[in-house]
Amino acid sequence: MAVNKQAVLEALAHVPLPDGAVGASARDLASEIVIANGRVYFALQVPPERAEQMEATRAAAERAVAGLEGVDQARVSLTAERAATAAAAPAAPARTEPGIGQVRHIVAVASGKGGVGKSTTAVNLALAIAGDGHAVGILDADIYGPSVPRLLGLKGKPRQAGQRALLPMEAYGLKVMSMGVLVGEETPMVWRGPMVITALTQMLKEVVWGALDVLVVDMPPGTGDAQLTMAQQVPLAGAVIVSTPQDLALIDARKGIAMFQKVSVPILGLVENMSTFVCPHCGGTTDIFGHGGAEAEAGRLGVPFLGGIPLDMAIRSHSDDGTPIVVSEPDAPHAAAYRAIAAGVWAGLAGAGARGRSAPKIVIE
Amino acid sequence: MTAAPWPTELRLNKAKDRLTVAFDDGVTAELPAEYLRVMSPSAEVRGHAPGERKTVPGKARVRIADLKPVGNYAVRIVFDDGHDTGLYAWELLHELWERREDHWQEYLAELAEKGLSRD
Repeated sequence: MAVNKQAVLEALAHVPLPDGAVGASARDLASEIVIANGRVYFALQVPPERAEQMEATRAAAERAVAGLEGVDQARVSLTAERAATAAAAPAAPARTEPGIGQVRHIVAVASGKGGVGKSTTAVNLALAIAGDGHAVGILDADIYGPSVPRLLGLKGKPRQAGQRALLPMEAYGLKVMSMGVLVGEETPMVWRGPMVITALTQMLKEVVWGALDVLVVDMPPGTGDAQLTMAQQVPLAGAVIVSTPQDLALIDARKGIAMFQKVSVPILGLVENMSTFVCPHCGGTTDIFGHGGAEAEAGRLGVPFLGGIPLDMAIRSHSDDGTPIVVSEPDAPHAAAYRAIAAGVWAGLAGAGARGRSAPKIVIE
Repeated sequence: MTAAPWPTELRLNKAKDRLTVAFDDGVTAELPAEYLRVMSPSAEVRGHAPGERKTVPGKARVRIADLKPVGNYAVRIVFDDGHDTGLYAWELLHELWERREDHWQEYLAELAEKGLSRD
């Protein structure tokens, strides 16, 4: 027996809303209900700031409808209502076209080795560029170990825009997308390469990035599927390579540089992370991983050296707290170090544009 | 970065049998579809080691169906015989033009040696 819309609405009338929500039951929030072959699809329209509270209601509505006779499966999603809340929303024109068509420069932050501080560097670099008045986004391309949500203190899930597209999350003025906000922090992605390629492509093309001056891409370590996808799917404006000064990390950094050169992505420069350690007790400096290795390597490879970031407790604790040092302690010397690197990256981008090394025009007569 | 020649425009003619690549070093490479097809950098043609290279016969009338950009560094050429796995990096296109005489003579010699034909 087929189910009809009336039966669905009646079921929803028995699903209560959390206190203070507009309307008395989920019925009042339901969008157009679609019924096809025993499957029921609809959305509950909620104010964006209440999305998290409404999750329980969404699940309850899904259960209520799935329990109806003739329903094999119910899919309920939350959508944010837009029109009525014009005052709350920023005045920016709401472009819902997904993709990276309006992004001026896409910059990959990469390393050969894992654990050298790529994500911390990427986040602080993005914030430092944004601090100069540019519109900046950050895409966490590390599918297996996304760190950006934690580094930026992101909570909640991204909102949907239309049928397929997602709106990026926002943090400290950055637009953000990460696998970590699509699945829980504790959920492992047990995926083979092709799945990673699909996920990355979607995060590029089905997210409403809008107009950005720079999209910083936090790359996973290595030179595999994810890196190739980024190199082939989008015209990368350049790559920033992060390494510690130790030889072990520099060997892999060299491979990362060689990979980008193979696919004609300009190297914007090398960053030496964990450059030196300043003891908080005695003030003495200890070069735990050595010092100056990255600068020497950059000289050897003929790529710019962008600067060094010390191994410092404050950077680490701000990272874990989701309050990046560039915004939480803008006057600290470390924040200044990130800003200097950002200036180098921006100069490199301007230079890359001047060299005219963008992909050629394709004309089909 | 390297100062390797960089293309400014890729143009496919109306007859779909010739790709014209304008490089920033002033070189204008006119590459016939057949030549590009038999020299495809795809593993289907080149194999995975130098010795595995295949001689592709019978492509005299092959046409180019589409050109798809690949990142910043290459173009994917889709041929009308269904072959679309070759990514032609700018460097390769330049090299195919610079050494067109050698490559073409080698190809003709291989065909003759194996008793194959362009048609």
